[in-house]
Parts: sequence; structure tokens; C-alpha cells
Amino acid sequence: MDKAGILVVDDDREISNALEKLLLREGYSVSIACNGLEALDKVMTENIQLILLDIMMPKLDGLSATLKIREKKNIPIIILSAKSEDSDKILGLSMGADDYVTKPFNPQELMARVKSQLRRYMKFGDIGSAHSSSRICVGGLFLDTDAKQLTVDGEQIRLTAKEYRILELLMKNAGIVFSAEKIYEAVWNEAAYSVENTVMVHIRRIREKIEINPKEPNYLKVVWGIGYKIEKL
Amino acid sequence: MDTKLRSFSRNPAVKTIAFVLFVLLIAAQVVSLQYLRFQGPNPESLFVAKYKDSSSFEGEVSRAIAFTRDILESKVVPKKYVEFLYYINDIDNTWTNVKDASREFFARNDTAFYAYDNGNWAAGENTNPAPVVNDYYNNYDAGLKQYYTIYIAFPQSYMEQKQAAWQKNSNRLKPYIIALAFGTVLELLLLAYLAAVAGRKRGDNELHTSGLDSVYTDLQIAFIILILVVWLRIISGVPNIWRVGQGPLSTAQIFSMAYFALVTAAASTAGGLLFLSLIRKLKARRFLKHSLLYQIGYFIYDLLKSLFDGRKFEKYPLTKSLFYRQLLFICSSFLLVLTTFLLIASGNNMAILPPLLEAGILYWFIKGNRKTFDEINKGFNESLEEQMKSERMKIALITNVSHDLKTPLTSIISYADLLSNEEGLTDTARDYVKILIDKSNRLKHTVSDLFDLAKSTSGNMPVEFEKIDLKKLVEQTLADMNSDIERSGLALRTKLPEASLNITADGKKLYRVFQNVLDNALKYSLQGTRVYVELENKNGTAVATVKNTAGYEMDFTVDEIMQRFSRGDKSRTTEGSGLGLSIAESFTQVCGGDFKVEIDGDLFKVTIRFKLAQNSIPAIA
Repeated sequence: MDKAGILVVDDDREISNALEKLLLREGYSVSIACNGLEALDKVMTENIQLILLDIMMPKLDGLSATLKIREKKNIPIIILSAKSEDSDKILGLSMGADDYVTKPFNPQELMARVKSQLRRYMKFGDIGSAHSSSRICVGGLFLDTDAKQLTVDGEQIRLTAKEYRILELLMKNAGIVFSAEKIYEAVWNEAAYSVENTVMVHIRRIREKIEINPKEPNYLKVVWGIGYKIEKL
Repeated sequence: MDTKLRSFSRNPAVKTIAFVLFVLLIAAQVVSLQYLRFQGPNPESLFVAKYKDSSSFEGEVSRAIAFTRDILESKVVPKKYVEFLYYINDIDNTWTNVKDASREFFARNDTAFYAYDNGNWAAGENTNPAPVVNDYYNNYDAGLKQYYTIYIAFPQSYMEQKQAAWQKNSNRLKPYIIALAFGTVLELLLLAYLAAVAGRKRGDNELHTSGLDSVYTDLQIAFIILILVVWLRIISGVPNIWRVGQGPLSTAQIFSMAYFALVTAAASTAGGLLFLSLIRKLKARRFLKHSLLYQIGYFIYDLLKSLFDGRKFEKYPLTKSLFYRQLLFICSSFLLVLTTFLLIASGNNMAILPPLLEAGILYWFIKGNRKTFDEINKGFNESLEEQMKSERMKIALITNVSHDLKTPLTSIISYADLLSNEEGLTDTARDYVKILIDKSNRLKHTVSDLFDLAKSTSGNMPVEFEKIDLKKLVEQTLADMNSDIERSGLALRTKLPEASLNITADGKKLYRVFQNVLDNALKYSLQGTRVYVELENKNGTAVATVKNTAGYEMDFTVDEIMQRFSRGDKSRTTEGSGLGLSIAESFTQVCGGDFKVEIDGDLFKVTIRFKLAQNSIPAIA
């Protein structure tokens, strides 16, 4: 399995061709479908490790196709859509997609996301041991509290002591919002006084290390006017 | 010179002095008249040159006649000295105080000779006949018998002495009269001056009104009349006995004069002020309009006009028919009620007819109205439906256009990226591709901004309200934009409150607001200047301000800059969609806040206001 097979599903020929070229350049093997039905067919018959799926398509739309594929396979699905509302993203992800990228996308970013999804998918076997107490897992993030090490989609990330402790605090309490003061008191063990900037700087650095696009983070999110949290995935 | 005089004449101090002078003059006049009444010579001497023609002398004569009558009735001469000469004869008796009791003797005193014989009164050649031709004395004559003879005469010497005193009186009075006349002229002049400058002030040609002018004209006139009446009553209410009496003034008289002075001063002050107010109104041409009668009249006129004026309904045919039906209904009902009353009053049996007719009209009125209301409802529903339809179309348009713009843009960006990685491109071609990538990315941002704006202004943007701390949000935004701020080379001055400012808003949207506003400040500020970010609690409102000094001349208005797609510099060279501030404004409004931009010279100021949330505990784990 040296060359991962990727299925590009889009009714726009130019876009699927461009994606094919981009993916080929990254060294994947690519097959193309024009609608949901064709995609279902190809998923069943070809060796596919990841799907790039448009939503608005004739015959069978992307969301329905995702549901159908999920009945049979758990290969990563990245939705590519012009619909950019939060509600669209939530809908897509809740249908079983692993990632949601809005058009027009940055080609480099999309490639990074493909790579990250594939890595996570390939190393899926390791997750079995993730439930031990020394491992915290959120999406593609694995935090080994014994070894004090973080891997993102199987790739090791170097963190400073403070960054690690912030991440540990937030990952242990995934989905819960922490104010800057709380984070500071827990990590620095000091009384917090105008620490917003300090904490924010660390949050930004962590984001640059773990997020594919730090400006649109998947994991570490700012809850504006309240605090920070790791999204529960 | 002219303006100097004008400025002097309009000086409030000068005006006040003139008014006080006016009041004092009137008071002085009244007091001096009163003094003359108490003390001074008989004013009659001014008008009647001869004492013999005066009413004072008439009094003397009538007293003399009464004296003779008393003698005729009582047949006794009272022991009393009299200045006049008399001869009385009732055939049986004769009474006289002269030796030669002939008519000729008496007639010699021809300036004051009165004779009664043969049942008639006669007067001397140069005598004032008034006392004996007067009705009063003729009535008294009724008691005189035909055969009586009465001669009365005042000696020539006595009359000359009286005439001399009379003349002296007149001479004594003249200075007073001249003074009074002079005072009156002065008063009129002062009043004319005050009237001329009433309502004028130094430095302008405006007409200034005072508090007194808010009283209706007719009420003011009524007050003036009331003051005059009350004043006259007080003045004339002084007992007559005070008129006689010579020598020094009594205490009561002095008090009375002081009282007069005070009353007159008060009356003339009040009257003068009211008069000047009337003058001001005349000048302002609201003398008539600002009267109670006019106001009441106008109110009634307006009421009638609004009842019968159908012009405002002209544009709305449905309400117009409603209006005319109502008008017809009111008028006919009124007439019918009137005829009913008249018929009942005249005891006519036909009184039953108008109510029946009225019932018919009522039926027609209600039925017609119901039809009109139905039509209105139908029209209303139609327009509502139309509006909903256009709203739905707008949403569909936004979604479709968004898709149709984004799809080709995806291709452009993807192929530009592919092209940039193509080998064997010349340097020029590589530059071109770089430009393509830059511009397509910019287009991507603009399209995204445009749809955000379209959605939020058309009310199609989902908003997640939660309790957030505005202070924290500003801090987070500043921290988040730290690298941009450092890169801009501008210094940031922040002034944030100690306590948190909790509001209810959508944090993500509000972050976009502050990000855009700060971005704008960083982009268009003059190098080396400072950007001020302030946040404070102003009476339950969180007020955030961002101020910066523009790096160029802001030759546009606030409205212009807030218009979509307008950008600070008209050349449109710098990066950005020009939608930043519009988005910030729209997002703030969507979150329930107030967004205001002010331009003052080179100062650009954005103020964002949010009402503080009631409960100040933020939702933090």
C-alpha cells in the first residue's frame, strides 16, 4: 500500500482535474467521479483510501453519498463545498465526514489536510491502546501523559513545558471553556493578573504547531469573550 | 456712531434705568396730585378766571340762600356772622343786615347780586346766574312764596379780596401743572423709547422674547385693564374730608400718600411690563396669533378641518371611501337627531321616522365598512406575501450567486497553484502566476466578505447569543492581532477597565467587528502615530472606542465611508475589500449593539456600544 488511492467527486470537471493534478503531484493515485452514484460505485470497486467529496452534485448529493459510504466503509471523507456556513459544516461532519473544507480552498492547505487524514487513517490500529489512562485522544491529537509527548495524526510535535501543560489541561477537559485566568493559575501556579496576552501568545504558538490552518483551527479554539477550549471530537 | 448709539440704547442697564424712571415718574405724579388734594389750593382757579364764576362761589351763594330760607321758615335770625348782605321780607316781617334795604343798594354790588321778587330769581348784570338757575335751587324755591322778597349781595370789597386770593391760588398752581405736564411728556417719551427697544438686544437684529410673552395676548390685555380698574378704585377710595384742611399734613395723610406711591408704582410696573410684552408681540407679528381666543378658534377650526378634510386619504382609495362614508354618516346622523328632537319638541307623531331612517343608515354604514376592511386585509396579506417572497428570493440569490462565484474561483486558485509549480517557466511567467495567485486570493476574501455582509444585512445570518466579557474579547482580539500590530509599526495605547464588562452577543461576530475596526486603523494610520483602544462602562453601557490618526486627508463624509465598497483612499491601491467597516457595523447591529463612526479632521474614531447584561457572572467552567 505504497500509493494511497484517492477518489475525487465533483461535478465540475475543471476542479476535479485540478485536484487530480495536485494529488498526483503529491504522489497519490487518483480516480474521479462526477456524482454521488458514481462515487458509491467506485468506492466499492476500487482501492480507495480517502474521498474528496463535493456537496452540490446531480443524481446523489454529497451528504447522502457520505451516509451511504459510511454504511460500508470508514475511510476518511473530506467534504469540499462552497457552502461556508457553520451550520453546513456541522451538518457535514455529523453525517460522518472527517473534515470540511470550503471552496475556494487553498491547494496547499487541502493537501496538508489530505495527508493528515490519511496518516490518521493508516495508523488507526494504534488507537486501540489510546484508551489507557496515560493517553488522551482528541481527533488526530494523541497526548501521552507519561512520555509527555504529543502526536498529531501520528506525527510527533515538540512542545515547550508550558505549551504541553496548557494542552494537557484543555485536552483532559475537552469541550470545556477555560478563561485565561484559569489556564494561567493552573499552568503557571501563580495568581493571574492581566494575563490574557500571555495566554493568548501561547495558544497561538500551540495552534501553529497542531493546526493545519492556524487561522481556522480544528482543535484549539478561542471562544471570543469567554476563553479557550479544545473541541471535543 | 450710529451703531454706538444703538448699542447704548439696547444696553439692558439703560433699559432698566428708563423703566424705573418711568415708574418713579408716575408714582411721583400721583403723589403730588394727592398732595394738592390734601394741601394745595383749589385747582378750579386754573380753569375759572373769576371767583364769581367758580363753583366755590356757587357754594357760598347756595349757603346764603339756605340762610335766608332758614330765617323765612323759623322767623328767627341765627346768631351767626355772614359775609354777605341780605334783605328778606314776607310782608309781615323784614329781616336785613343793612340800613338802606333798597334794591338799588343791593344792585350796586353787581358782581354778586341775587334777587327774589314776584316769584322769580334774578341775578345782577355781572353776576354768575348759575346758582339760582340751577335745578337744585329751583326745587328749593318750591318753599318760597310769591310775595316773598329776598335780596342777597356780596360786598364789592369782599369779592375783590376773594378774587385776589383766587388769582394767587392760580399762580401757585401753575408750576405744579407745568411740572405734571412735563412729567407726562417725559413718561410718554420713556415709554416710546422702551417700546422701540423692546425685544432687541445688542449685537444682533433678532427679536428676543421673554417669559412674560408666553402669556396669551388677550389675557395680558385683561390683566392691564384689571390693574387699571383696581388702581383707580384705590385712588378714588380716599375719603373726601381729607380734601379740606390746611396746615401741615397729618400722619394719616402721609401714610395715605406713601400707600398711593407704592400702589401706583406696583401698578405701573406690572402694567408697563405687560404693555412692553404686547409691543414685543406686535413686533414679532404674533399679537393676534398668540391670543387665547385665536388659539381656541384655531383649535376648533383645525378640528373641523381634520373632520372634513379628506386630502390625506387621497393616496389611499380604500381609506378614502371609509372616510367619506364616515363623514356622510356623521352629518346625516346629526341632522336626523336634530329633526327627531325638533319633532318631539313640537309634539309631532312623525318623530318615529328619523330613528328608523337612522337604523337604515347605520346598516349601510356597517356593511360598507366591513367591505372596505375586507379589501384592506386582502391587500395587506398580499403585500406581506410579496415581501416574504422577495425575502426568500434574496436568500436564494445570495446562495446561488455565492456558489456560482466560488466554483470558478476554486478552479482559478487551483490552476494558478498548479501553474506555479510547473517547471520550465520563464521568470516573467512566474511573476505573472504570482500576481494571479495574489489577486485570486484577494478576490476570495472579497467574495467571502461580500456574502457575509449580504447575509447579515438581509437578516439571514444565524447569531449565537451568549454572555461574553467584552473586556476579555478586546484583550483576546488585541493578542490575536499582535503580530499585525507589531508589523504596522504603530504604537497601541489601551485603556481597559479593571472589572469585566458582560454583554450578550455573538462572540465570533464581535471578534470580526473588532478585528475589522483594528485592521482598518492599522491600515490607514499615519506612520509613527498611535492607535487608541479604550473600553469603559458608561451608566450601564459598555462603550468601546478605537481612535487613530489618518495617514491621508479624509475628504469624505461618514456616510460615504460607511457605504459598501468605499475605501479610505480613493485610489484603492491597498489590500482589502473595502467592506471591513460595513461588516463591522452590520455585525454589531446583528448582535444588538450600536456602531458609530466619527471623523474630526485627521481623527478617525469608531465607537461601539453595548448594553451591559443584567447578570454579571460569565459562563466559564
